[in-house]
Amino acid sequence: MEIIWLAILAALLIGYFALEGFDIGLGMLLPALARARERAGEPGTRQDQRDHLVAAMAPFVLANEVWLVAVAGTLLGVYPVLDGRLFDGLYPVVVLLVTSWILRDAGLWFRRRMDGGAWRAFWDAVLCAGSWGLALSWGVALASVVRGLPGQPFDLAGLLYGLVVAAVLAAHGRAFAAWRLSGPRETGRGGRRLALTAALAVLPVAVPLAVAAPSLLDHTVSSGTLNVLSIITLPVLPILVVAQVWVWRTFTPGRGVIGTGAARVPSFF
Amino acid sequence: MDVLDLARLQFAVTGSLHFLFVVLTLGLAPLVAIMQTRSLLSGKPVFERMTRFWGQIYVINYAVGVFTGLVMEFQFGLNWSGLSHFAGDVFGAPLAMETLVAFFLESTFLGLWIFGWNRLPKRLHLACIWLVALTAYASAFFIMVANSFLQHPAGAVLREGRLVLTDFGALLSNPSLVAAFPHVVGAGLFAGGTVLTGASAYKLFRRTADQEFFRRSLRTGVMWGSIGVLLAVASGYLQLGVVNDIQPGKFDTQLAGQALSNMRLVGELCQLVFPFILAPLLIRNLLARWRWIHPLLMLLTPLPFIAAALGWLAREAGRQPWVVYGELDVAHAMSPGLTYQNVLVSFVAFAGVLGLLALVDYLLIARAVRRGPGQVALGAPAPADPTPSPALAL
Repeated sequence: MEIIWLAILAALLIGYFALEGFDIGLGMLLPALARARERAGEPGTRQDQRDHLVAAMAPFVLANEVWLVAVAGTLLGVYPVLDGRLFDGLYPVVVLLVTSWILRDAGLWFRRRMDGGAWRAFWDAVLCAGSWGLALSWGVALASVVRGLPGQPFDLAGLLYGLVVAAVLAAHGRAFAAWRLSGPRETGRGGRRLALTAALAVLPVAVPLAVAAPSLLDHTVSSGTLNVLSIITLPVLPILVVAQVWVWRTFTPGRGVIGTGAARVPSFF
Repeated sequence: MDVLDLARLQFAVTGSLHFLFVVLTLGLAPLVAIMQTRSLLSGKPVFERMTRFWGQIYVINYAVGVFTGLVMEFQFGLNWSGLSHFAGDVFGAPLAMETLVAFFLESTFLGLWIFGWNRLPKRLHLACIWLVALTAYASAFFIMVANSFLQHPAGAVLREGRLVLTDFGALLSNPSLVAAFPHVVGAGLFAGGTVLTGASAYKLFRRTADQEFFRRSLRTGVMWGSIGVLLAVASGYLQLGVVNDIQPGKFDTQLAGQALSNMRLVGELCQLVFPFILAPLLIRNLLARWRWIHPLLMLLTPLPFIAAALGWLAREAGRQPWVVYGELDVAHAMSPGLTYQNVLVSFVAFAGVLGLLALVDYLLIARAVRRGPGQVALGAPAPADPTPSPALAL
């Protein structure tokens, strides 16, 4: 049972990086990709380009970011003792990560709630800054976990690992934008490239996971609690998978009644 | 103010903010689901417009509920690791279930509902909002299981200085939970109903063109507000007896006692006003037609939120100095290595950012109400003549 829950935690973390990774990457590259689209002669202003890009990821974000909420819940429920130790060692990093996350989300939820270019441009900037904060703080946090939580996580190695994470997530975000905004003929190739960058995006978390695995196994909650958790949770996990698959079936280019490009469907974000 | 006070203040501020938004989420989710059901069954356009308009209010409010919820979840590990060390064996389980069984699905289905408009088949789209409402209540249930355990640590025994779960059934049938969960459900419906009432009264007072729309909304608001307040007050009384048994003297301190009595004042006033004065005035649409009464209805809008904040304060402040009642006090629940500087940084980051976002969010809700059902982004149909989008060149 301990192994099963370790596998669930690993799957949730890997799923988070593979899925939410492209939202973060796209957010980081929002100004750059908008400029690139403008230079390539796409119709519309630069703000229109940003709107298209955000609309491309919008239907996936809620279903993607929730993987990290589940990671945090699993840490609390299955590894309560380790949870405190982990957060104690990573205190300022976790504060930065959560604050960046909230600001990124606020950018998404608020950007279209008022008219006027300045309002939307402001929240687009918040979205971009929050995405960078997320990527960099993830890198710092993971580097710290690999090294057994040293006192000062924001050192040179931490920041370098932050840049590595930022780079792979940016590549993933770019591949996602290309796939989602491409015409029907190119989606096959774009999809293969997206799968490749997804594999790249989970690499930075795979190493810390492997390092932390023995310690996680040692600190699993009592078997009584684990059994209760399993009885309540495991039967629901297939429904979680089905719901995620449903999201992808609904919003994959070429499917649905409206049309192919994400840009044509009015977006709430 | 020392490090413990600051950590407590941080939890109180973020927790209160969270509850203010969550209580409306709980109230509006089923009301929007009912509106959409009526839209599908009757085919009347007014119900579709109501679903989109009140759905938009619901999702704007939902955003800050999530932001604050994230901070609550991470705060346990950051500031209160003494609690997870001592009671994580019991307390962590319902929180893990909340994220895996409830919130994961709620967020996924909400994304499908928001962005699947005009894309998903109508019945499946309707199923999404019902699943969102159902998982929202499942979420509230698991959170209340965890909170009730802190009020009355049932189903666990002390072994080698830590609490160990022995009886999960006792956790679910906790006397502290049995009356408190319906109390929260009632408070949610009351909040949802009151927001519909106040906003509709405002639009009717401003002589909106959408008379039928807001007459119906006012009716829905008053009916559900009445049901909610009756449920909240009835389960509230039930709860007082339980609390006397399991936490004697809970409301004897000044803060908890005052919060409780003020909450009761608001609750009992509304229990009189909603079902016994406003609901009868729905006959022949008197309430919608009497324009002089509309400013009074608008003034009712903040009351359920004030009551909810006070009720939460009474329940939590009355538990002091315990985190786990009778077992662990707040000083020992705090993370052992917590420094003043760390808490200050997180307090400024979390309370500051969330406070600002909450303010912006309330202004956006007010603006959405003022603009009315004519300009709703949620579920807006696709443009009539879409131009094909060319491939993205990077």
